[in-house]
Amino acid sequence: MGKYLSLRDFDWPMFLITLAICSLGVLQIYSATGGTVWQDSWWKQIMYIAAGVILMWVVSMIDYHSLMAQLLPMYVAAVVGLIAVLVIGKTVFNSTRWIQLPGGLKLQVSEFAKLVIILLVARFMTELRSEVLELPDLLKIAGLVVVPMLLIAKEPDLGTSLTYLPILACGVFLAGMRWQYWAAIAVLVLLIVPLSYSVLKPYQRDRLVSFLDPDVDPKGSGYQVRQSKIAVGDGGMWGRGVTKGTQTQLRFLPVAHTDFIFSAFSEEHGFVGVIVALALYFVLLMQIVQNAQTAPDRAGMYICMGVAALLLFHILVNVGMVVGRMPVTGIPLPLMSYGGSSIWSTFLMLGLVNNVRLRRFVN
Amino acid sequence: MDAAVARSNAVRRVNFLVAVLLVWSTAIVYKLVSIQVFQHQKYLASARKQQEIRIDLPAIRGSIFDRNGHPLALSVSVDSVSINPLNVPNASVAAELLAQNLNLDQRDLYEKIKWCRTNKRGFLVIKHKLTYMESERLRSLPVNWIDFTTESQRHYPGGQIAAHVIGGVYKKEQGAAGIEKGMDAVLRGTGGTVRMLTDVKRHGIDSRVETPSQPGNSLQLTIDERIQFVAEREIQAAVAKHHCRSGSVVVMNPYNGEILALANYPTYDPNTQPKQGDNPMSRFDLGVSVPFEPGSIFKVMTLSAALETTKLKPSTMIATGNGALALPGRVVHDTRAHGTISMEEVLVESSNIGAIKIGAEVGREKMFEYVRRFGFGQRSGIPLPAESGGLLRKLDHWGTTSLASISMGQEISTTSIQLARACAVIANGGLLVKPKLVLKRGDTPEPTEQPVRIIRPETAITMRRMMENVVVSPHGTGHQYCRLAGYTSGGKTGSAQIFDTKTRHYTHSYNASFMGFAPVTNPAVIVMVTLNGTTGVAGFGGPSAGPVFNAVATEALRILDVPKDLPENLPAPDDTQIAANNANDLPIAGLDGDRSILEEDPTANPANLAAAAWPQDPQGPAGNLVAGAPPSPPAYEGPVVPDFRGKTVREVVQESSESGLPVLVAGTGIAQAQSPQPGTPLTTGTRVRVQFRR
Repeated sequence: MGKYLSLRDFDWPMFLITLAICSLGVLQIYSATGGTVWQDSWWKQIMYIAAGVILMWVVSMIDYHSLMAQLLPMYVAAVVGLIAVLVIGKTVFNSTRWIQLPGGLKLQVSEFAKLVIILLVARFMTELRSEVLELPDLLKIAGLVVVPMLLIAKEPDLGTSLTYLPILACGVFLAGMRWQYWAAIAVLVLLIVPLSYSVLKPYQRDRLVSFLDPDVDPKGSGYQVRQSKIAVGDGGMWGRGVTKGTQTQLRFLPVAHTDFIFSAFSEEHGFVGVIVALALYFVLLMQIVQNAQTAPDRAGMYICMGVAALLLFHILVNVGMVVGRMPVTGIPLPLMSYGGSSIWSTFLMLGLVNNVRLRRFVN
Repeated sequence: MDAAVARSNAVRRVNFLVAVLLVWSTAIVYKLVSIQVFQHQKYLASARKQQEIRIDLPAIRGSIFDRNGHPLALSVSVDSVSINPLNVPNASVAAELLAQNLNLDQRDLYEKIKWCRTNKRGFLVIKHKLTYMESERLRSLPVNWIDFTTESQRHYPGGQIAAHVIGGVYKKEQGAAGIEKGMDAVLRGTGGTVRMLTDVKRHGIDSRVETPSQPGNSLQLTIDERIQFVAEREIQAAVAKHHCRSGSVVVMNPYNGEILALANYPTYDPNTQPKQGDNPMSRFDLGVSVPFEPGSIFKVMTLSAALETTKLKPSTMIATGNGALALPGRVVHDTRAHGTISMEEVLVESSNIGAIKIGAEVGREKMFEYVRRFGFGQRSGIPLPAESGGLLRKLDHWGTTSLASISMGQEISTTSIQLARACAVIANGGLLVKPKLVLKRGDTPEPTEQPVRIIRPETAITMRRMMENVVVSPHGTGHQYCRLAGYTSGGKTGSAQIFDTKTRHYTHSYNASFMGFAPVTNPAVIVMVTLNGTTGVAGFGGPSAGPVFNAVATEALRILDVPKDLPENLPAPDDTQIAANNANDLPIAGLDGDRSILEEDPTANPANLAAAAWPQDPQGPAGNLVAGAPPSPPAYEGPVVPDFRGKTVREVVQESSESGLPVLVAGTGIAQAQSPQPGTPLTTGTRVRVQFRR
């Protein structure tokens, strides 16, 4: 098979766009963390990106079919890893999301489990016997996805946990399903949402309430959204300039280099910068979708679409949160937010997409 | 299911998915546009609002100077000291250090620092307004946890000099009284603002001056610190000597209304804030804010009105009868039966009955009009707070005896400023001036209001001459007290009995006053003296207020460099005459029911009966009265050089022309030295050189 793999077939446009988005992220991290305890984060981020590129390369070399063949051990490893997080994980701000690795690295297992879920959905949908998804199959795949989701929700990290849903939904949607099932799911969701409200932690409830009405408690849970909106609005058409955004530089904007990096970016680069960044994301997604269209088989298509669905969900939720359209969840902006786990998992997913692309002429 | 159907199903699904995502993305992008483009200003404003704090820049308060530029009030910077208790390395060391250098209680301070540290309070004011020494000591300490802030403090270098004129300020330099309050807006200036960019923890990052503060304008007052000092010294001495409650002096330039001195006693030091146990009266500006019944002084107004509106002349004889006049409901007494005396003598001897008769000639309407013209019953407009306009009833509210009462200064209340202003009308030839306290506002001279003519110049000059006689005539009420050494002077005494509002009776304590001017022909100063609460013979206007007038006027004229118009060596007052005056200086005041009697001016001099037809004083300068002062007789038999020393230029020139002795005049004022010396035998062709000096 090696003879088909050439450097020329690598998805260079996607790679360049990815690097462009990453540079915007590094620049923003540099600007937002200057003079703080995180001021060397931009350098670390470059290291993460470099490592991510290598990971992407490695993943694209291994045929995705062989990867899917090893799905069972991978799935078990992911579930065990998530349990390990709950047992020996590092607790930060009342939630246990990371495993401390030697060398100061913190591994967020839930980010890597996404890959397993993408492969899982792809394989499951490929191996379906029927034309459309029937109820037993639906329950089966749903059960497989829900186990890691519950483990992540237990950490608690509801936001990351919810990012698994679009992968599943995308798979199910592409596989096709009776509209009656969709209706049933919709009813079920409507029933579960009020119930789940009582299960939510107090801070999660506050986030929901403050999302619905940010002015209820402007100094409390509404604070982040309020400050984020001020930062975005403050940027205006052309932005305040790099390291000139007052909301960001004066620390009014919380976590300006991770979850709210888009807010800081909006302030310093304005609406024009925002449009450029969103356009880059759009082109990236289109590139992935195009790879899905040219995929050699259904499995490849499902993988690419799963990746696209996941990234789109991340982008929409994060940007929506920044402008106050979505509740505050700890979901990072892919490729821009600071953090090794997020960068690596995104590069691994793009590696999967490349993996599919490199094998498009196999048959 | 065939492939075509499956395919169309797939297309439908994809379209549906795209539609959902489009709606979602559009919602977010729309929000982005709305926040970033359309509501940009709003969010920019809220960013500013939370990132910037405005700090007020205090304006420096304007200084106050006297007319010669001596500072009366200044704002100086003083240090206040605070610490951040959380940054102090060692609380007990800090407490000891601060307590020793600032004279504070060490244990108390230690407790405060401890409390702040346990309660996480990062700010503690140690002491406000340090003295210079304290601040120097503290600044020399090699520690970095002491924070200094600069505050402005008002300082009055002269202490209690002109306290009531200046007033004082509250702790934050807002005018509390006096000119500090009256012209607070001018002195205060406008504060500026600094906008400071702060981070989320309220640490200042950057600051810029948004509006610079405009320092207040300085004021130059018309007050002369030297005259003010004399006035305060004299009024304090007089209050002490006569055991009275209070007193005030107003010194005024009659031509432009400039107040040269305004002194009250008791007084205070404006550097201090009022304390419990202070005499509350010490903070009153009595001369401006506290009206009183003027008494006999007011006869000046009655006579002026009579000269203006009736055919009465100074020589017109007035029948004062046997010293008692029955009015409806009460009886008015004179000190004694004056019989029929001239109008001039009515003023000189201060006959109440005479004044009532003259007032009756004037009539209600004219009397009211002239009292108003002289500025009574209305504020003078001096820029001091809480000025009283006194009380003058409207004509409709006058009772049957009101005209009689007002003619001799009752049923009306006036302030010292009003009386000084009225006296200025007589002194300057009939013009009502507005009292002026501010000479310059910053560098701009304060405009002087055009005086208004209210009586004819002839009337004013006649009044002046009559008032001079109050001082000069041996029978005058001010005779032995108000004659100045070297200057002619005129005036009027007053000794108004104080009405006790509780018992509704006139008491036997007086508002002793003297209102006078000097020199007579071209008055340079008005001095209005009031002593409140004098008693006994020595408490009448002449003996108590007269000497204050004497001392203040003499000093003021010397300070103002006014040429002397009298030889300095006045003949000593006739001892027997003084004895006679004192023996007769008794009030004869019967108390008739609760309406009480009208005030008498008991300082009125009893002229002896033989002098009833006492000759008119020669007109012209009073100097003629003492022209008889003889030079020492020469030993040499032949013609000698006369003694010109102590004489005015005019006298010397006159003498010279009469004797035919040529004189070389050098300088102005009073002759101080001459060459050849007096008594030198005269030879033909001798010329006498006379040096005059003020």
